[in-house]
Amino acid sequence: MKPAPFDYVVAASADEAVQYLAEVEDGTAKIIAGGQSLVPLLALRLARPSLLVDINRIPGLATIESLSKTSIRIGALVSHRMLCEQTTSPLLSEAASWIGHTAIRTRGTIGGSLAHSDPAAELPVVAVAAGMSVEVVSPSGKRTISAEDLFVSTLENSLADDEMIVAVDAPLPERWGFAEYARRHGDFGLVTVAVAEVGGKIRIAIGGVGNKPVRALESEALVNDATSLDTQLTERAARAAASAVTPNGDFHGSASYRTGLVEELVGRALRQLALSRLSAMENWS
Amino acid sequence: MTEIPLIEPEAERSVGTSVRRKEDYRFLIGRGHYVSDLQLPRMRHVAFLRSPLAHARITSVDVSSALEATFVDAVFTGGVEPFKSVTLIAQSALPSYIETAQPILAWEKVRFSGEAIAAVVAGDRYLAEDGAELIEVEYERLSPNVTAWSTPEEPLHSEAPDNVLLERRFLSGDVESALANAEIVVERKLTTNRHGGNPLECRAGVALFEPGDGTLQFWSGTQVPHIVRNALAELLGMSEAKIRVVAPDVGGGFGTKAALYPEDVALCLIARQMPGVPVKWVEDRAEHLLAATHARDHRYLLTAGFASDGTLLALRADVTCNVGAYSVYPWTAGIEPLMAGGLLSGPYRLENYDCTVRAVATNTSPSGPYRGVARPASVFAMETIMDEGARRLGMSTIDIRRKNLIGPKDIPYKMPSRLVDDSGHYERCLDRALELFDLEDFLREQKRRKENNEPPIGFGVACYNELTGLGRAASAGPRMPFRTGHDACTVKINPDGAVTVFSGVTSQGQGLETTVAQIVADAIGVNYDDVEVHIGNTDESLWGFGAFSSRQAVIGGGAAQLSALAVKEKVINLASKLLEIDGIDLTLRNGEVRVVGELAPRFSLAELARIAYLESNRLPNGIEPGLEATRFYDPIRGAFAAGVQLGSLEFDKKTGEIRILKWVCVEDAGRVINPRIVEGQIAGAIAQGIGGAMYEHLIYDDDGNLSTGTFMDYLIPTSAEIPEMVIDHIECPADNPLGVRGVGEGGTLGPNAVVAGAVADALGILVDQLPVTEGTIWEGSR
Ligand SMILES: Cc1cc2nc3c(=O)[nH]c(=O)nc-3n(C[C@H](O)[C@H](O)[C@H](O)COP(=O)(O)OP(=O)(O)OC[C@H]3O[C@@H](n4cnc5c(N)ncnc54)[C@H](O)[C@@H]3O)c2cc1C
Repeated sequence: MKPAPFDYVVAASADEAVQYLAEVEDGTAKIIAGGQSLVPLLALRLARPSLLVDINRIPGLATIESLSKTSIRIGALVSHRMLCEQTTSPLLSEAASWIGHTAIRTRGTIGGSLAHSDPAAELPVVAVAAGMSVEVVSPSGKRTISAEDLFVSTLENSLADDEMIVAVDAPLPERWGFAEYARRHGDFGLVTVAVAEVGGKIRIAIGGVGNKPVRALESEALVNDATSLDTQLTERAARAAASAVTPNGDFHGSASYRTGLVEELVGRALRQLALSRLSAMENWS
Repeated sequence: MTEIPLIEPEAERSVGTSVRRKEDYRFLIGRGHYVSDLQLPRMRHVAFLRSPLAHARITSVDVSSALEATFVDAVFTGGVEPFKSVTLIAQSALPSYIETAQPILAWEKVRFSGEAIAAVVAGDRYLAEDGAELIEVEYERLSPNVTAWSTPEEPLHSEAPDNVLLERRFLSGDVESALANAEIVVERKLTTNRHGGNPLECRAGVALFEPGDGTLQFWSGTQVPHIVRNALAELLGMSEAKIRVVAPDVGGGFGTKAALYPEDVALCLIARQMPGVPVKWVEDRAEHLLAATHARDHRYLLTAGFASDGTLLALRADVTCNVGAYSVYPWTAGIEPLMAGGLLSGPYRLENYDCTVRAVATNTSPSGPYRGVARPASVFAMETIMDEGARRLGMSTIDIRRKNLIGPKDIPYKMPSRLVDDSGHYERCLDRALELFDLEDFLREQKRRKENNEPPIGFGVACYNELTGLGRAASAGPRMPFRTGHDACTVKINPDGAVTVFSGVTSQGQGLETTVAQIVADAIGVNYDDVEVHIGNTDESLWGFGAFSSRQAVIGGGAAQLSALAVKEKVINLASKLLEIDGIDLTLRNGEVRVVGELAPRFSLAELARIAYLESNRLPNGIEPGLEATRFYDPIRGAFAAGVQLGSLEFDKKTGEIRILKWVCVEDAGRVINPRIVEGQIAGAIAQGIGGAMYEHLIYDDDGNLSTGTFMDYLIPTSAEIPEMVIDHIECPADNPLGVRGVGEGGTLGPNAVVAGAVADALGILVDQLPVTEGTIWEGSR
């Protein structure tokens, strides 16, 4: 359980980092951020990069800025712990608190989590539900990729070999809900559900049931068409979500169990979202 | 009123108190010495190349590229000397036992995925692993078999064409007619989940062969250094005098480190090939999950008959244990099946018993001793039968147990397997546990929830006995060519009066330095702080079998007590001659010798020790210099420790989530030496038991690949999953010098049964298969 040999450089800026990436022609250079996903892969020799580009000392990437009343910009090096502690986005704070344990949350970064594209991870699910996008740089310039376009498949993203995420643009949902079931405290969820209402539209994303976060489009249509999110509608939407997913079963849970979890957790997340309106109205009256 | 001064100061007693553990300071400041910490000049590191296949013939091993690599010092394979002719053969005198050989490095055939094939030596572990990648092995695949109850296409060992390494029948009474007369007959088929010890520190060793004097030193994270030395001498053809085995601080063992492994022998063979060069191997977690011993992969086919009043009349059982690819050295493949058959009936009276147990080899990592050896599974089996009997007879699960528990009046009770129970205190444990649990309160809450349609709760119970401190006549095991009933201890009073103990016990975190010091301090009559204990070094202590079978407090503790008393006798004898006062009239307490009835001491121990070592001019005639004694102790029989656990669990049918609300354990530890250590042992054992009941599962796919090869998939409960526990004791002293009963393992015995019982109680789901997971609950609730 020791990594195969690799070279290592520390980048002083994002431009320098992507320059390093571009210089390794066969695309075997890799960024290392918190290392919480990459180091285990290195240790098991499942990842064998020729060069690691350490981005941890690039200034300015570990801050959260308010872009407007409705969105924030999160630097790629913002740790899960910082997400837990901030109060601007309660959805992100809740979701991040479900990631691993203290040590992992202290080191792991939002840029790393999204780039790693683990379909069971919390932040990708939230990113899809809330309609986040990532800002990406490469030696040839900048671009923005929506979360949904970023995730391609299990541990596979749409970044080019010389691209790096520098920030995440995160809309602040008016209402939200989050529900997860993991076998132990701190584990990746068997199923993770995030629902978010942004600009009056509710989106439902589910993790752990496919090779990337899955949107429950039929359920979304049901809840967005209706005038109120009552018990009956919530149940219908939850059922619709369950019938739309085709999870794989393994020894942690059969496919049917995971499907059952989807129904239960979509229901819970939607109820939480609905309740957040109630309390908002209570505050208002 | 004037106070009458005490004639003699009260002796400070250490046994029975939670004195500060001697080990903890160095652990807490990071100064523990583990094998992994050992750094020696010229040290090289070893990585093993392991088989990716579960069953295959090895057709070629090409190490040329590895040897060419400049960073590789040496490469060793199994097909050449000195490896070729060394094999591990665990021996047993049981008639049906089939001896099989385990190579040090596989060369003809691999029998499980993870089996070591080659060893690479390099300057550090990274380079050694790089070197291992350069070795090319060609295989001819053979059909693998990972389940012990399916017919193999291709046997593992030619000596055992059906893969059965051992089969034994326990027979008592007449099961057939007892079943015919039974009011009800219950039948169950149960399987338990393979899991393992997973100590915090994995296996580790450093071997150094010193060419100057031909000695081999082996630092090993082992639980059994004397056994290791004995075996190494035989396997390597060396004199025991030339071998020193040292187990320094060891970060957990749980039985996993009670075996001698091929990797251990490989390190020593490599060291002999590379004289003067220390070679080090520290097992990583992936290797540990893959190739350290596993346990508890069993199937129980059970038929039991009960009378209408709940009396257990007969039990027929067929127990198959998946023992993996090899017969674990030196314990043999019999260790689990024989324990399962010997103790299946547990704390219950039973006359009619017909139990066949067998050990079946499969293409999986060998199974070996793991805390509780077989009994977490066998207790689950027995308690399932009790619960089922109660359900069928409409009795409470408590009443049916009361009906059948062995009581004090039955003692000594000869179990149907002919083991002799000396305890009988089960019902006392049960009463106390029920009191602490508050069953009435639970039942009210259960009813309330039912009426309000709230998440259901259920309660489970496990009664068990743990056979601890086995003496020479109490062997429940596989009749190996040695008996593990005794340990030795040497107690020495130094010239300054402080005490040094060389004990044969070993510690993997259980605090044996502390416990032994407490025993010796009280037995001699000195302060706990004046006793130093040395353990884990075959050059220092005369003999000890080590840590397993909850034996050390009983046996090693007994030896410490006897040797301390023998030294005390020498002290009293010396003082008696010097004072010309009969020894009967002298006391030794708090390090001072007094004449009975006098307030002022006549001698301090330091004064006497000085005379004994340094002032022979003052030594009375007939007294030899020095104050030292070595004694062995063997309890002959064993001490059964009674235990009862109760738990209440809450279930969420929608997610399957299981929450443990309450956990109570009452055990009989006999006389408790150190309450905090005892509670730590019980709490830790229960936590491991819960891990086995709900989380830990080593799963092989049909090709023999381990699917749960990292801690991502092999789930060990964390503090978040383990409930607060209520632990209490009854203290019924056992028949040994200290009155103690072992407590190392008992805690693991209850959780399977408690969890399964609670599931049945709350949801009516009958658990036939462990572990119990959220999937079990969710699917069972559909
Ligand atoms: C024991 C344990 C438990 C965990 N539990 C959870 C959990 O429950 N839920 C969960 O979501 N995660 C969990 N994680 C993973 C953790 O959240 C990681 O922090 C996260 O997945 C990756 O972030 P990182 O900063 O550590 O990235 P790294 O490990 O450094 O990198 C991961 C990948 O992303 C790439 N990368 C990193 N930063 C960038 C960037 N700015 N631009 C482009 N590519 C980049 C790297 O090249 C690499 O391929 C756990 C990890 C551990 C060790």
